[in-house]
Amino acid sequence: MELSVQDREYMCSGHVGCPGCGAAIAMRFVLKALGEKTMMIVPACCWSIIAGPYPQSTLKVPVLHTAFETGGAVASGVRAALDIKGDRETTVVTWAGDGGTFDIGFQALSGAVERNEDFIYVCYDNEAYMNTGVQRSSSTPYGAWTTTTPGQEWKKLRKKNIVEALVAHRIPYAATASIAFPEDLVRKVKKAKAVKGSRFLHIYASCPTGWRMPSELAVKIARMAVQTNIFPLYEVENGVRYTINYMPKGYLVREYFKLQGRFKHLSEADLEQIQQMVNEDWELLLRKAGVSPGAAGPVTKID
Amino acid sequence: MTHAFVSQVSTPFIPRSTTTTESNKTGSWRFLQPRYDEKTAPCSAACPAGEDIARVEMLVAQGLFKEAWETILQENPFPGVCGRVCFHPCESVCNRGAFDEPIAIHTLERFVADTAMRYGLQPQRMALPPKSERCAVVGAGPSGLAAAYFLARLGYGCDVFEARSEPGGLLRWGIPPYRLPVPVLQWELEHLQALGVNIRCNHKITGGFLHGLKDRYAAVFLGCGHYKSPALGIAGEDLSGVEEGLPFLERVRSGDLPSLSGTVAVIGGGNTAVDVSRCALRLGAKVLMVYRRRRQDMPAFGHEIQMAVDEGVELMELWAPLSIEAHPDGFRLSLQKMEVVSEEGGRARVKPVPGETTAIVVQKIFKALGNTAEEPWLEPPGEIAPHILHLADTVVSRREDGLVVVYGGDLAARSKSVAHAIGSGKEAAMALDLYFRRGWDAIVEETARCRVGPGPSLSMEIYTGGDRCRRNPHVVAFEEINTDYFLYGPRIIQPRLLVEERLQGFSEIDLKVSAALAIREAERCFNCGVCNQCDNCRLYCPDVAVCRDTSPQGRHINLDYCKGCGVCVVECPRNAMSLVENETGGRP
Repeated sequence: MELSVQDREYMCSGHVGCPGCGAAIAMRFVLKALGEKTMMIVPACCWSIIAGPYPQSTLKVPVLHTAFETGGAVASGVRAALDIKGDRETTVVTWAGDGGTFDIGFQALSGAVERNEDFIYVCYDNEAYMNTGVQRSSSTPYGAWTTTTPGQEWKKLRKKNIVEALVAHRIPYAATASIAFPEDLVRKVKKAKAVKGSRFLHIYASCPTGWRMPSELAVKIARMAVQTNIFPLYEVENGVRYTINYMPKGYLVREYFKLQGRFKHLSEADLEQIQQMVNEDWELLLRKAGVSPGAAGPVTKID
Repeated sequence: MTHAFVSQVSTPFIPRSTTTTESNKTGSWRFLQPRYDEKTAPCSAACPAGEDIARVEMLVAQGLFKEAWETILQENPFPGVCGRVCFHPCESVCNRGAFDEPIAIHTLERFVADTAMRYGLQPQRMALPPKSERCAVVGAGPSGLAAAYFLARLGYGCDVFEARSEPGGLLRWGIPPYRLPVPVLQWELEHLQALGVNIRCNHKITGGFLHGLKDRYAAVFLGCGHYKSPALGIAGEDLSGVEEGLPFLERVRSGDLPSLSGTVAVIGGGNTAVDVSRCALRLGAKVLMVYRRRRQDMPAFGHEIQMAVDEGVELMELWAPLSIEAHPDGFRLSLQKMEVVSEEGGRARVKPVPGETTAIVVQKIFKALGNTAEEPWLEPPGEIAPHILHLADTVVSRREDGLVVVYGGDLAARSKSVAHAIGSGKEAAMALDLYFRRGWDAIVEETARCRVGPGPSLSMEIYTGGDRCRRNPHVVAFEEINTDYFLYGPRIIQPRLLVEERLQGFSEIDLKVSAALAIREAERCFNCGVCNQCDNCRLYCPDVAVCRDTSPQGRHINLDYCKGCGVCVVECPRNAMSLVENETGGRP
C-alpha cells in the first residue's frame, strides 16, 4: 500500500502497549501525517501507560501528561503559550481515550471547542476504560461485556454518538477514521492540520485485550466495523457539510460480533436488534449527508 | 532531632523524560513469531512444467517483462509455444476464480514471450560448470528438446537426433499454423541452440542404435513420441483415400495444401482429430467429427473443441464406425449408435444400441485415433525392478553396462500434452544429473524435494537453489487470501480473428494484447504466497518492529521488539507470511 506520508517514524519500539494495540497503530499513522512540529497533550488513558514509565518516552515529539478531565483545557493553555512565544507552526493535539473524551473530559472538551480553540482533539476509541481493567464507558457499544457490565448485565444502552455531539458545536472540522483505512486516516489528519480552529477526530482503535479477541485480528476487526456500518467513515465541515467516505458492501453486523469474546453472550434476537439499530443509525447518517438510501448501496437486513 | 526529607536529585518543575522506550526489549513478551514465508500458488502446482506463475504475474504487473520471461525460462524453454498451445490447467485452479474470474495466465504467458521476441532479448543465464558426461536425446519434440535444454543448463553436452528434416516434433508437424506460427517455434529453438544443444536432423534412430552408445554417451533420453496410429479394426479402413490424421497435418504444415470439397468425416475425438477437422474446413470441406462417446468425453481440450464447433465442424457424438465401402461419390461410412452404460472418472463407458445403425456418404475419411509408439523397443519397461525407476513423467532404466535410458514425453508422461512433455524433459535432466553427481539412490528422494507444492511437477529453480528455492510447498487456498485488499475487475478478453476471417486461411487466430492490458490483467493476480513488497507488514506494525533493509526481502522483523501480535501476518494480502512458534524461545 503506497501512502503519501513520510517514512520517518515518530514512535519508538519498546512501548508497553499490549500486542496488537490499535491505539499504537493509530498514533503511528497520526504522527506520520502531522510531522515533527507537534505537541501531544495526553490526559489519563491507555496512552499514559503506553508512552512508557518515567523517565522514558516512546514518542519523538513533546508529550504533556495531564489529568483525566483536562484534555481540552490544557490544550487551550498550551496553544495560548505557544502563541505568546510566537510559534504558529506547532500543532497542538490532545490525544485522549474514549473515557477521557466521552465521559470524564467532556466538559473541558465542550468548553474548548465552544471557544473554537485552535487545536486538534483526537479521541482514539477502544470502547471502554481499558488500562484500568475494562470498565464500561459511554462509548461502550450496546451488547458489550465489560467488568462493570458482567454476565447477563451486559450493557443495554447505546454508545454515545460523540461526533454528532461535537458537530452540534459547529466546529470547523469533525471526522471519523479507522486504523484499517490508513489512506483515509492520513488524509483526514492532514486536512485537519490545515484547518484553523477546533478540529475533532474520532479514531476507531481496536483493543484485543479488552475485546477478548486474538491480537492478529486487530486491524481486520477495525475494517469490519467500517464494512458493517458499525463505524461509518465520514467527515463534517462547519457542522453542516457531511461527506460519507466509504459506502458499505452489505456485510452483516453478526460477522463482526462473532469474532469478539465481549459479545459472545448475545443471542440471535439480540444480534437482530443490533442490526436494526445499526441500520437506523446509518439511514440517519445518509439523510444528514443528503444521500438517498438507494444510491448508497445495500443496507443490510437480517433475514 | 528532626530529619527533613531531602531529595537526592534536584526535582524539576515538571518531570521530563530523558530517554526512549527502546531499552524495553518487548520481544520477550512474544510466544508466537511472524516470519516471511513465501508459499506455493495453486497455478504453479497445477502447471505440468512447474512455472512460478504468481511471481511471473507480479513481474508483469511491475512492467518487468524481461525478468518475467526469464522466470518462465527457469522452468520452461518454450513460453512462446506454451502461451499458444498449452491447455492451461493453471487457470482452472486460480484462486481469483473464487473471487471473480481467473487470471488470463495463458494470454499473459504469450504476451511475455512475444515481448521478448519482439525486442530480441537474450536471457541472462546462470552458467554451471561443464560436466564430462555426454547425453544423447532421441527425438527433437517438446520432451526431447526440454531434456536437452535442462541438461545443457546443468552443464552437459547434448546431441539431439531427429528423424525429420526440421526440429520441433509435434510442435512443427502436428500443430497447425493457426495455433502456432513457425517463427515462434523457430525463435525459441534458436535460444536452445545458443545454449550449445546440437540438433542433428534427418537422423533416424533404429533399435540397434542403443547398443553402441556406451562409448560415446553416458545416458540417452528417448522422446520420440507417439506417431503410429492403431487400426480401427473395421472393413475398408485401408481403402485408398482413407487417410491418417497426423500425416495429413504434416502435409499441411509443409505447405502442401490439397483442395478438399464435399463432406469429410474425421474419426476420433483427440486434439489431432480436432486439428484435422479444422484444417479440412480451411481447405474447403464440410466436416463431420465422428466420435464413439460424448463431447465431454473427448480427450481434446474443451476450448479447442468449442473453436472447431464455432468454425462449423459438426460433431456426431455416440456413433462408432462399422465399415467403410467405396461409393461412386467417395465412401459409404456405416455407423453404429452407441449409448452410455456408466461413467468412470467422468468418462463414459459406451455400448452399441442394438439395431440402430446408419450410413453416411462422404468424400473423404480421416482416421485420427490415439497414437502409440512407432517401435516396440520404444515402449518403457513396465516391470518393477531396482534398476528401473517409474517417476511421474519418465521411466529411468539403468542398463548393466551402466548406460542410463530415460523414456520420456508421450512414451511415459502421465498425460499427453506439450506442458507434460516439458515437465518430462525436466524430470529426466534432474534424474540424470542426480545419478551422475549423487548416485542412483539419490534420484527418487531428491526429485521429490524439488516438487512444486505437492507435485508431481518439478522446479529447476528449487533444484538449482535459486532465489525462490525456499518457498513453502504449502499451496495457498482462497480462504488464506486477504481479499479486502483486492477490487473486483473483469478478466481480459483474448482478442481473436472473426470466424469468417479464420476460415480464409491458416493465420493465427489469437491476436496480441497490448502491454497496458497485460499489466492490468497481471495486477488482478493475488500473487498467492509471493511477497510483492506491498509493505503492509511494516505499515501496520503497532511496535515499529518491521524494519527496512537491503536484503531481497526488503525488510526484516526486529525480534527485540516484536510482541508476536500477528497483525502483519493477517494483513499480508497474499499469505506470504506465517505466524509460527518462537524460534528463539521468546527471549532474544
